[in-house]
Amino acid sequence: MFETALTWSDLAFLAQGAGMTLLVTAVSVTAGTVLGVIFGVIRFQVGPYWSIPLTFVLDVFRSVPLLIQLVLGNAFQSIARLGWPPFTTSCVILSLYTAAYCTEIVRGGISSVPVTTRRAARSLGMTWWQDMRYIVAPLATRVSLPSWIGLTLGVMKDSALVLWLGLIELLRASQILVTRLQEPLFILMICGAIYFILSFPVARLGGYLEKRWSPND
Amino acid sequence: MFNYTFHWNQALRALPQMLDGALVTLEIALLSMAIGLACAMVLTLFRLSGNRVLSGFAAVWVEVARNTPALFQIYMAHFGLGNFGIHLSPYAALLAGIAFNNAGYLAENFRGALKAIPDTQARAGRSLGMSSLQAFRYIVMPQMLRIAFLPATNQMVWAILMTSLGVTVGMNTDLAGITQELNARSFRTFEFFALAAVIYYVIAKAVTLAARAFASRMFRY
Amino acid sequence: MRIPVLAFGLLAATALTSPAQADKLDDIISSGTLRCAVVLDFPPMGSRDDSNNPIGFDVDYCNDLAKALGVTAEIVETPFPERIPALMSGRVDVGVASTSDTLERAKTVGMSIPYFAFEMAVTANEKSGIKSFDEMKGKVVGATAGTFEAIALEAQVKAWGEGEFRPYQTQADVFLALSQGQLDATVSTSTVAQANVKTGKFPGIAVVGKAPFDVDYVALFTNREEYGLINYLNLFVNQQVRTGRYAELYEKWVGGELPDLSVKGVYR
Repeated sequence: MFETALTWSDLAFLAQGAGMTLLVTAVSVTAGTVLGVIFGVIRFQVGPYWSIPLTFVLDVFRSVPLLIQLVLGNAFQSIARLGWPPFTTSCVILSLYTAAYCTEIVRGGISSVPVTTRRAARSLGMTWWQDMRYIVAPLATRVSLPSWIGLTLGVMKDSALVLWLGLIELLRASQILVTRLQEPLFILMICGAIYFILSFPVARLGGYLEKRWSPND
Repeated sequence: MFNYTFHWNQALRALPQMLDGALVTLEIALLSMAIGLACAMVLTLFRLSGNRVLSGFAAVWVEVARNTPALFQIYMAHFGLGNFGIHLSPYAALLAGIAFNNAGYLAENFRGALKAIPDTQARAGRSLGMSSLQAFRYIVMPQMLRIAFLPATNQMVWAILMTSLGVTVGMNTDLAGITQELNARSFRTFEFFALAAVIYYVIAKAVTLAARAFASRMFRY
Repeated sequence: MRIPVLAFGLLAATALTSPAQADKLDDIISSGTLRCAVVLDFPPMGSRDDSNNPIGFDVDYCNDLAKALGVTAEIVETPFPERIPALMSGRVDVGVASTSDTLERAKTVGMSIPYFAFEMAVTANEKSGIKSFDEMKGKVVGATAGTFEAIALEAQVKAWGEGEFRPYQTQADVFLALSQGQLDATVSTSTVAQANVKTGKFPGIAVVGKAPFDVDYVALFTNREEYGLINYLNLFVNQQVRTGRYAELYEKWVGGELPDLSVKGVYR
């Protein structure tokens, strides 16, 4: 159906790009989740009043376009002479971006655990840590996991923007091939299909878990 | 520590120009939201219609919108459609891309909202002699909109953030486009983009607060 | 007690081994690599071959510079907007990236003497019927954002008072848009225009004439305060012309009449 000049080595090039997308996503989501859990617990523990500074900073990451954040972060690291390669800069910015959303998910998860349950745990003689570890964590994870999966997929799609810093991820790899082969539609379709294949099954899994785990369905 | 002298007044001199861009940004976001809402409503009806073709169409739209990057969608609207000789200007391509994305996410929100409304209500409406469309229009839809309002507000903020992707398809009148042009001319990246970040933050906050005020008036019980 | 002594010893050792005021030129020579920022979607200055490796005039130029310095070259691909952040953060040492030497930019980076000069050419989509620069009036035109020609063309469109100007982020997108008919015409450097038309990948576009803009001189750039390196770059550019290497590279990548790099009536 298609006459194409696309070769196997070009497909490998695209696969490499997809690998970069996955790598950036994996690093950022891991780091962002760790930060998000820490910030989420802090936000829940110290209450809305004392966490205003933290809330504000995280809110900025959710209210400024990621593209602007990336360019700004890159300009900052260049001015501060940190000498980060684009990969590091991209991962740092994306991690903070992930953390900003993850914090809200974690906080929501924790506050969904009924206070009475937690009091019961404490009155059984559990320490705060034990209560967190054995009571809150399992219950909150159930509530938060579907949104967290959504967040992970969101970060994967948003990671396309790191092409701005010169990182050759999936979309940039496609653009390079489009430049050389001049078959925009075909190559872009392949690119879209790869994103879809990476994202769709996980999205379905998230939907399934949500259905399965939501209490009153 | 820094081997760099900031030239802030150069950025501040460009502020009026950037604020003009901010208006365009807001305009695109609002339009894309209006179009997105309309499309999402149609998609929701398609899904409820029970017709295989229509609900299949809706499903494909929603899944593609939700499972590919917005940047890809906008790029596709400009260069992908251009391949067929359909030429959208950068403005139209950006608007179409964001509206497509909005519609996908909003339709999904509506679906979630619909689940929260008991079937019995629509049935009660039908037994009062309403047609199924009337029951949807007068009983289900108002509740659906109320439940979906908060997620829709978030989508609105997303739409504002997505407008920044227009620079990749030759958009030069919105905030990101103007900022990028100023930057390319003078190489003063940090100053211009920091100012742009502040403006985006203010717009996003203003929209969120306005939506909250609107909701507390409209949806009083 | 032992730790401070050790620390002092280390400090003294580093102080002795590295001279107090190594500038960038010293750093490059002692590190053994020269890292050049090159734009790779800008044929024939920079592009990728069939196995996606960097090639082009700028790539060769960087290799020559590295050879002169006695170090190995490392090509760092930078999209147009990324050139300066890459330099500022110390990720690259020199930009060999077809950068126009505007006064506005010289406020931020240090420019060498011109190493290449572009003439501006109009490339049009044949369907638009545009045959000269003036016929672009009232049409949809575009160029690569922030470049010399984009700034001049946008000003021209404003002066005409009709038509539309669209900046794209890469040269590749401009030609893609042009061949699809999204743009009626573009002004680009004549070398780029010819290289793109010659590939035959863009059916229906042709170079239709020159644009009456000033010659676009492009310079190598590095940090503003690195005078030692800038001096070296100036001499290097001079030597490239003197030894005929400039002409050789021009023949290899572009072909045709060699552009003059000097401006009449003024030094530098």
